[in-house]
Amino acid sequence: METILTIFIIFIAGATGTYFLGKLSGILRSVIFITTLLVTSWLFFTAVSPDVIIEFEIMGILMSWGLTPLAYVFAIIVFGLAIIIGIYAIKAMEGQRSLNFFFANFLLSVMAMFGILISNDLISFFIFWEIMSWSSYFMVVLNHKDVQRSGITYIIFCVIGAYAMMMAIMIIYSYSGSVMIGDFISNFHAFSLGMKWLLPILLLIGFASKAALMPLHVWAPGAYSNSPMSYTALFSGALSKMGVYGMVIVMIMIVQQIPDGYWIKEVIAWLGGITSAIGTLWAIKQDDAKRMLAYSSVAQLGYIIVGVAIGTPLAMMSGLFLAVMHGIFKSTLFMVVGAIERQTGTSNFTEVTGLIRKMPWTFLAALMSIIALAGIPPLGGFIGKWMLYESLMGSNHYLLIIVIFFSSTAAFLYCYKFLFGFFLGQEEKEWSHVKEAPAMMVVPMIIMAILTFVLGVFPGLILKPINDGMQFLGYVSTDNRFWEMSTIFNDWGNQVVMEPIVYTIFAIFLFFLIFLTLKGYKNTRYVTTKDISSSGEIPREDENLTFITGFMQPFFRAVAPVMKRQIDKYYTSFGKGLEALFDFTRRIYTGNGQTYALYFVIFVILLLMFRDSLF
Amino acid sequence: MESVGYYILGVIVTIIVAFMVGMTYMGLSRKITARVQNRKGPPFYQNFIDAFKLASKETAIHHGFMHHAGPAFLMVASIMSVLIIPVLNDGKWFPNLNFDGDLIFLLYIMVFGPLGMALGAGQTGNPNSAIGVTRGLSQMVGFEIPWVMALVALMMQYQTTSLVDLMAVQQTTGWLMFSSPFAFLAAVLAMLGMFRYSPFDIVGAPTELASGPVSENGGKYLFTMMSSGSIFAFAKLTLYVDLFMGGADNLIELLIKTFTIYLIPMLYGMVSPRYRTEQAIRYFWGWPLFFGFLALVHAMVF
Repeated sequence: METILTIFIIFIAGATGTYFLGKLSGILRSVIFITTLLVTSWLFFTAVSPDVIIEFEIMGILMSWGLTPLAYVFAIIVFGLAIIIGIYAIKAMEGQRSLNFFFANFLLSVMAMFGILISNDLISFFIFWEIMSWSSYFMVVLNHKDVQRSGITYIIFCVIGAYAMMMAIMIIYSYSGSVMIGDFISNFHAFSLGMKWLLPILLLIGFASKAALMPLHVWAPGAYSNSPMSYTALFSGALSKMGVYGMVIVMIMIVQQIPDGYWIKEVIAWLGGITSAIGTLWAIKQDDAKRMLAYSSVAQLGYIIVGVAIGTPLAMMSGLFLAVMHGIFKSTLFMVVGAIERQTGTSNFTEVTGLIRKMPWTFLAALMSIIALAGIPPLGGFIGKWMLYESLMGSNHYLLIIVIFFSSTAAFLYCYKFLFGFFLGQEEKEWSHVKEAPAMMVVPMIIMAILTFVLGVFPGLILKPINDGMQFLGYVSTDNRFWEMSTIFNDWGNQVVMEPIVYTIFAIFLFFLIFLTLKGYKNTRYVTTKDISSSGEIPREDENLTFITGFMQPFFRAVAPVMKRQIDKYYTSFGKGLEALFDFTRRIYTGNGQTYALYFVIFVILLLMFRDSLF
Repeated sequence: MESVGYYILGVIVTIIVAFMVGMTYMGLSRKITARVQNRKGPPFYQNFIDAFKLASKETAIHHGFMHHAGPAFLMVASIMSVLIIPVLNDGKWFPNLNFDGDLIFLLYIMVFGPLGMALGAGQTGNPNSAIGVTRGLSQMVGFEIPWVMALVALMMQYQTTSLVDLMAVQQTTGWLMFSSPFAFLAAVLAMLGMFRYSPFDIVGAPTELASGPVSENGGKYLFTMMSSGSIFAFAKLTLYVDLFMGGADNLIELLIKTFTIYLIPMLYGMVSPRYRTEQAIRYFWGWPLFFGFLALVHAMVF
């Protein structure tokens, strides 16, 4: 049997087994869950090749499944993250309720994402898209908290996206009689001009709602922060990338064919830029780590979308590279928050401080991911950011690059707030009982942190499959032109060579670390964080001087005008308007038989009055 | 192996030059400030004495690993910047890493140190440190925008992101401060914030925050920070000379040019009171931003 089908059957069997057999024993559930992920990932990485296509018919509709080289890049993200987060989730979810449902749903999400990636026809694409939306919706409302706000908001945006997509699919089918994605792309030039504009916009609404592009990003903070962290890692890391995957195809294969389609690209790129700026500003303001990371995800996806929308070879490379990197470092950060929440019971910066000495490994993972997120060399985030800037300069986007620079500089503020809020500051007695998270949670985080480093030094490892994917999209090979194993080039031939840089950084750091440690080793001692010289006063044991409330207040005083407007408010007033409209409709349909009789009489009278002009 | 040895030699020589020049400039600035304020002031080599005193202190305390390693992070950023930035024109100096990193890389490695340092300051548990750090980062968002605008204008006008290429361009076109005046203005105004002299010295405001992020550091830690600061100052000044004043052909020329540039933030600071953080940010988003826009327009049109 074809490997793809085998993977599906294993997923479905695994999900069913996890759900039903999990009722018998927790260990059995974990074993089935992790075996499913391991076997499918192993099959994917060893036996799936990008050129096998299988076709079969269900209810008269031809379905075609196969993995394109582009989808392969995203499938690497999905399976890589799923296996690592899966291991983490087993320990992290211990003691929570509805575990059978959680793990079965987790498997279904991964299966749905894989399904989206292998679909070559729009029908199965849509079906898997819906499975993905629903399984993630159940995760958002899993803890029965805040269902009204986050859950409903999320599902509304899912539905908006799905309707837009379904409309597009129906139009495509009725015009061309085929639901194959390949046919649609090759027949696109035959559509009328109106359809040429309408179809990509409808599809983009569908994908952008998943990728949380402004103004469709409203659901993200609530949904990301409300699901269990073990799932949010996958949610933000892999699931949102499905939107990016769709956008890549639409932007390159379809928008390219529209006369003046240039404008769609510019608009989407600017929306991406504004998304990143606004997302960053709101991330700085959050006091809850989950919400901060959620806004940060919105912002980071903004960068990815900018890269995808600009669409020059370098920009596309940066978009896809950032997608992989974001998957790695953002899921690590969500896992860090999950670990802290499990060990301390809170994820609020204002409550918990000074964990660095209690959870050193978690801190290390958080530090590496934050450095990658901030785009500071030598970790992987830098490579993506660098390519993005260079591509913006190479394609003459003078102002957009400033917006991106602003948001990535402002991102340092929340990066610091994250590390400071949890790990640094004064140590408190209240948290002296906190222990490091269990090894099964720490090891996956550390593995991911090491990955950010490896990809920073050798970006070629992941740029190779990206290059294959881009050649599938019709780009000329960028190997040796824009990248080598450890070197990246821009449009003008300028380069950054990572290897000597990394070795030098390490040499300098080690040299001074040794110098600081060895010099006066015997006379250097550790003192607690209470033993400080704060204006000549020494704080008492019970006093906590950590500065975290109103952390970036001066910055917000400077940017206050921008923060006044919130898109949520417009949606709320739009919703209120709709409610008023429905209220009005309700007055017509009173439910009273006499009123309906009156309507009928009025209708007949009207007919009689206008019979001459009507008939 | 010979090339590795040559590379290491270049690194060491560059660091020593940067350290000496930076320390001397800081001492001179103390002297000049004192003369402006009609004081006698310390001798120009006072900073060397201070550094020597700090380095020879035997005891030191720290509040944990990040605090201990903070100065090492700072050093990485300073030394990496000085290695990326070409010291003299036409490869008359050790090549170091001049060809391995470009301006965008430089922009990012320059913030590596402050962030590492901020983490160290955070672990001390001293509220003044954290307050200073938040102010510093906020102010950085302020001046980074006009600074980046100036750089982007230059890079796009001359279609290169390499510092070496930008220096080569000036051999034919003349100094960029005359051919791209708006970029120069924006960059110089941003520099005022970068050097953290008055009026932008709220980060470590001595009377108010007890030196901010630096508090809780002493002995070898403060020594490393101080050396890193002087190396970094040299790196930044050389960057301005390379970008806008045609680079330098020998060390004497470099010293004259860098000191001229150095006088700008110093003299501006002497006559200015201290801005609050939001005032500082708004300052950078006023005229500097306007000149940045003009620079971009200039780059677009020509």
